[in-house]
Amino acid sequence: MDILESLSVALEALRAHKLRSFLTMLGVIIGVAAVIALVSVGQTARSSVVGEFASLGPDLLWVLPGKAKEDSPFPTEEARLTLTYEDARAIEREAVFAVEVTPMLQTSVEVTGSGRKTTTTVIGTTPNLLVVRDMALQAGRFLQESDMSRRRRIVVLGPSLAQRLYRVPRNAVGRKLTINGRAFDVVGILQPEGGILGVDLDDRAYLPLTTAQQLFNINYASFLFVKAKDVESVSRAERETERILLRKHGEEDFTVLTQSQLLVSLSAILGILTIALSSIAAISLVVGGIGIMNIMLVSVTERTREIGIRKAIGARRLDILTQFLIEAVGISLVGGILGMGAGLAISWGISLRLFHSVPTIAATLPVVVLAFSFSALVGVIFGVYPAWRAANLHPIEALRYE
Amino acid sequence: MTVGRTLPAAGPLVALRDITKVYQMGRVTVPALQGVSLEIAPGQFVAIMGPSGSGKSTLMNLIGCLDRPSSGTYLLDGQDVSRLDDDELADIRNRRIGFVFQTFNLLSRYTALRNVEMPMIYATVPRAERRRRALRALEQVGLAARVQHTPQELSGGEQQRVAIARALVNEPAILLADEPTGNLDSRSGEEILAVVQDLNARGITIAVVTHDRDVAQHARRILQLRDGRLVRDEPVPQPLVARPALA
Ligand SMILES: Nc1ncnc2c1ncn2[C@@H]1O[C@H](COP(=O)(O)OP(=O)(O)O)[C@@H](O)[C@H]1O
Ligand SMILES: [Mg+2]
Repeated sequence: MDILESLSVALEALRAHKLRSFLTMLGVIIGVAAVIALVSVGQTARSSVVGEFASLGPDLLWVLPGKAKEDSPFPTEEARLTLTYEDARAIEREAVFAVEVTPMLQTSVEVTGSGRKTTTTVIGTTPNLLVVRDMALQAGRFLQESDMSRRRRIVVLGPSLAQRLYRVPRNAVGRKLTINGRAFDVVGILQPEGGILGVDLDDRAYLPLTTAQQLFNINYASFLFVKAKDVESVSRAERETERILLRKHGEEDFTVLTQSQLLVSLSAILGILTIALSSIAAISLVVGGIGIMNIMLVSVTERTREIGIRKAIGARRLDILTQFLIEAVGISLVGGILGMGAGLAISWGISLRLFHSVPTIAATLPVVVLAFSFSALVGVIFGVYPAWRAANLHPIEALRYE
Repeated sequence: MTVGRTLPAAGPLVALRDITKVYQMGRVTVPALQGVSLEIAPGQFVAIMGPSGSGKSTLMNLIGCLDRPSSGTYLLDGQDVSRLDDDELADIRNRRIGFVFQTFNLLSRYTALRNVEMPMIYATVPRAERRRRALRALEQVGLAARVQHTPQELSGGEQQRVAIARALVNEPAILLADEPTGNLDSRSGEEILAVVQDLNARGITIAVVTHDRDVAQHARRILQLRDGRLVRDEPVPQPLVARPALA
């Protein structure tokens, strides 16, 4: 029997049970769509997060409270607050390669300005953040040393927070902002920075660290930024920082991360996450395959008599086998194509919303090819047994089947 | 004398020797045929008779290569087919045997034309020739006007004629029919017998299973089975002649 004939026979069989074929297909559609969406969103997440962190500057180090376990670069034990303003000053004083240190006390609170309420990230920090993070102002001024010593109630706003409360960011300078029931003077507005991991870096309010510690009644910092003298001295700055903090704390209750360590482990974590999620999605593809097998077994039983007739007039085992196999692969391939469309649409939608970029063709092509061949494979694997059963029916018994 | 090539002996088309068929039903063995030997010459028209359960269908299925004997040999046109594998038997059925069943056994989704084309699909006959030969076969059984009808749109007699066209389209050595008139009224049965007699007159070998004495009288020879044995084998001195369809 020629392949064209087998194809038309399979198509006719699928068309004879449209709803049933579609429902069976749905398993494959969902599986393929899920794999493609998860893998390509994962890839976009990885490249965009890595890009965002890389843009923070290659000479930046993080000091986090808590000790990292061996297999992870991040602190895993219950994060005790162990880092202080004093630690930051000590490093700055003693270190040669760690030139600037900025403590960050970060918390999320409700603020009111111009009669509008909103929740934002309030950060207590020091004036040198501007240098360390390479930030720039579009209006007013940043925090100053005198603000620190006098614990002034002043605040510098990120542009999107300023926009949300005062409508025109530049006009916010000189207005009042209420945090925890206390009124603060807005003294400066930053230039836009963008987002990282879907977090808007411009939705922030910066206070002098001393003021923030008094306001929230905390003597510690959430973490420290350390800026190395230059890119070449990053690892020396790392060792210096560790040595100074170890001496001050008497134990290693902190973790120093360089940007490249952070990037490598972030990328690895996102990669593992992507693989884990798409493995789960791949399981749904297997479930889809089981659906195909189920419906093909039903179809073989229903058409036992037809198989008997075909055998009586001369169909060989291979003829019957290919007929049913093509039917199974037909379901899974059409499902694969529809699932591919759905998966690409979903991944574009998610990537656009979360990362403001779409997956590149180069990144999606391998996934698409893989998911597509996998769906064809699912049809073959789960179609073979029913087709084999059909092919090996005894002609007389098949003809006698009611 | 022809040199280098011997002409095939004008032997029997079907030669069964000591054929037995035993069915296994769990722990019980059912002997359906117990030592049947017979020959059918080319161009014959035999009727196989016998009470229900005597082994008529079993014998027919063996002659039609739908099954293998438990013992004994079967030569079809001189070739031993009793030990062939499933696919070799499928090829024999496709090219050498034409089968007609009591219940027609057409594919209900397909038109008459498509049903008749089917054996040629498995014989990998090219599309155009397939169509041409199927149309001719349907014409031969008087259904030229019904080629695009599906089985549901045809009467029982017409369906059986489609089945006959399908059986003939690969030009088989023998046409086998198991109770071909069993599901038909007497008028349609008569039409089918007329078609069969016409085919026999054109030289096609025919074997028909029936329990109906009148039907058997249309053949030229009657075999009688009882309890899986051949108990009588006699010619029909004056076969009845069936009246063809009016239309
Ligand atoms: N597939 C089978 N399994 C078991 N017994 C069978 C099978 N086919 C036929 N038989 C038995 O073999 C005997 C002959 O059957 P069959 O050839 O169908 O008789 P007939 O066609 O003359 O009525 C019967 O006893 C029947 O029950
Ligand atoms: Mg019978």
